[in-house]
Amino acid sequence: MTPDLTTKIKHLEFRNPVAVASGTFGTKDEYASYMDYEQLGAIITKTITVQPRQGNPMPRVCETVGGMLNAIGLQNKGLEDFLEDKIPYFEKIRTPLIVNIAGESLDDFRILAETLDGYKNVVKAIEINLSCPNVEVGGATFMRKKERILSVVKTVRQETDLITFAKLSPELGDLNEIAGLLIREGVDGLSLINTLKGMAVDIEKRCFRLANKTGGLSGPAIRPVALRYVYEIKKAYKIPVIASGGIMTASDALEYLLVGADLVAVGTANFIDPHATGNILCGILDYCRRYRIARLDDLRGTLIDIDQ
Amino acid sequence: MVNQFVTVLENRKVNGQFYKLIFRCRALAKHAKPGQFVNLLVNVSYDPFLRRPFSFYRTIGDRIEILYEVLGRGTALLANKKKGEALKVMGPLGRGFKRIVKNKKRILVGGGIGVPPLVFLGERTVVDYFLIGAKSYKEVLPAKELSRVHGKILYSTNDGSYGAKGYVTGLLEQLLRKESPQSLFIQTCGPRPMVQAVMEIARQRGIEGEVSLDETMACGVGACLGCVVETREGWVPSCTHGPVFAFKELR
Ligand SMILES: Cc1cc2nc3c(=O)[nH]c(=O)nc-3n(C[C@H](O)[C@H](O)[C@H](O)COP(=O)(O)OP(=O)(O)OC[C@H]3O[C@@H](n4cnc5c(N)ncnc54)[C@H](O)[C@@H]3O)c2cc1C
Ligand SMILES: Cc1cc2nc3c(=O)[nH]c(=O)nc-3n(C[C@H](O)[C@H](O)[C@H](O)COP(=O)(O)O)c2cc1C
Ligand code: FES
Repeated sequence: MTPDLTTKIKHLEFRNPVAVASGTFGTKDEYASYMDYEQLGAIITKTITVQPRQGNPMPRVCETVGGMLNAIGLQNKGLEDFLEDKIPYFEKIRTPLIVNIAGESLDDFRILAETLDGYKNVVKAIEINLSCPNVEVGGATFMRKKERILSVVKTVRQETDLITFAKLSPELGDLNEIAGLLIREGVDGLSLINTLKGMAVDIEKRCFRLANKTGGLSGPAIRPVALRYVYEIKKAYKIPVIASGGIMTASDALEYLLVGADLVAVGTANFIDPHATGNILCGILDYCRRYRIARLDDLRGTLIDIDQ
Repeated sequence: MVNQFVTVLENRKVNGQFYKLIFRCRALAKHAKPGQFVNLLVNVSYDPFLRRPFSFYRTIGDRIEILYEVLGRGTALLANKKKGEALKVMGPLGRGFKRIVKNKKRILVGGGIGVPPLVFLGERTVVDYFLIGAKSYKEVLPAKELSRVHGKILYSTNDGSYGAKGYVTGLLEQLLRKESPQSLFIQTCGPRPMVQAVMEIARQRGIEGEVSLDETMACGVGACLGCVVETREGWVPSCTHGPVFAFKELR
């Protein structure tokens, strides 16, 4: 029998828990010639802002041990383009679409939430990016003020009843405390974690490797840190969590599922292998068969203490 | 699109500086065009971690050739790959060079490890001149490697150890003295300062052309926005809108 990987968050049903993380899967059909988007549990789109953004100067990416730094700077074509070009594309794909948004002011968030609320046939949830390390305004620096984060979530909440996730990074401060406050503000779920701010130096040229000097570290290098946050938050609160941070293989995804993650979002791994999500899904199914797990819900969050 | 393991058929040095990798992949070879590239995963590993982009050097039937230079860890590992070992390839990626340049003389200007995609182009089209710049004789390709290029090949080396002494732009300027700018079309690839100098010469004389740009990449498919180039339309991914750009597209 095929194990049942159905994952529910509120009224939303996902065929399986394997999603793609914002900013690592393009904005539309970039991977469509490599894989079937309908095999995915969910698609989380690249952050959109109200106005188009040109992003940071080049170079924007560099490789590190077990990961990469990026300072893209939220380059995107803006809300209008999203409605005209992306919505019609995703309308034909049955995989739930989670739209990631960011803003430079409360007004921006109001406009984004209100507008997306009008596209419920395509947009199934919103992910608020509260934690981009690479932009001055609207990024983690701007958001570091707790009141600001809370007012953003409150604003979005007022404009839409779409399922709303808040995407956090340890750069924001004490995540446990922030999570608690956000839950009280009515957020439906959390996305843990966005990238960690880092740096790399070219010793031959004696310069920064990124024009932005710093960038967000992603990939397997951050997995243990991300895993710990997902574990702590899931232990402290009954809140759905989309986990991301270095998921390359099924065994990485299973670590997150065992500590209680609801969805696992595959990020940087897409760049290494466009078939990563499919392989991860197969691996999770194999694991369930091996341990005779009929439903993923029977496995999720079943971590036990080490037998002394 | 292809994303699969292939087996190394051949991998060896062709001169003092460059290596040639040969593997077989029918699906990739069938669609590969000059100027397009593959994103190559040398090893499934966390260090090096990302794929590395390489232009097609040539395809013969279902055989694919890549010409490369060892610059860092990825290419050093690649140089150690033995016949029979596996690599993962993804492609063909990007937009290649224009193959039809109506009524114009085609001039290819290549430098260093920017030469391979131009060789492929020179084998698939007719070129009037192929100007190649090298640091020294070490980088000069054996005649056999260039025997299928349809056109006149001129070399320059910085140290004068082969061909004309000096930069390849010197050869270009010499050539331009005899030709009318409107009748020419330049296609170039090489180190940034070289292609910038070529584009500046072309701009001053009003010569049209194309350049293949070498940006740091991660995904190779337009998903990460890590490889953008500033064009008249804004910042666009080089891996999908390029790596070949018309001079007039660039600012
Ligand atoms: C579209 C495209 C086509 C290419 N085609 C070819 C080709 O046909 N043959 C070939 O040999 N190379 C080609 N390259 C360059 C090739 O991708 C790099 O040389 C390779 O990624 C270096 O990997 P590495 O691990 O050896 O070096 P790393 O360890 O990543 O870097 C080592 C050193 O090389 C420098 N470096 C890294 N990447 C580049 C680069 N792209 N250009 C210049 N310096 C770099 C770094 O700054 C560093 O100092 C191409 C690049 C692009 C974008
Ligand atoms: C190139 C790149 C671009 C990203 N862009 C965004 C973005 O626009 N919005 C966002 O919320 N997260 C963005 N992220 C963060 C990822 O969604 C993910 O949370 C993070 O990379 C950790 O997962 P990973 O280690 O699997 O990549 C980006 C990550 C990378 C590598
Ligand atoms: S390499 Fe990712 S967009 Fe070009």
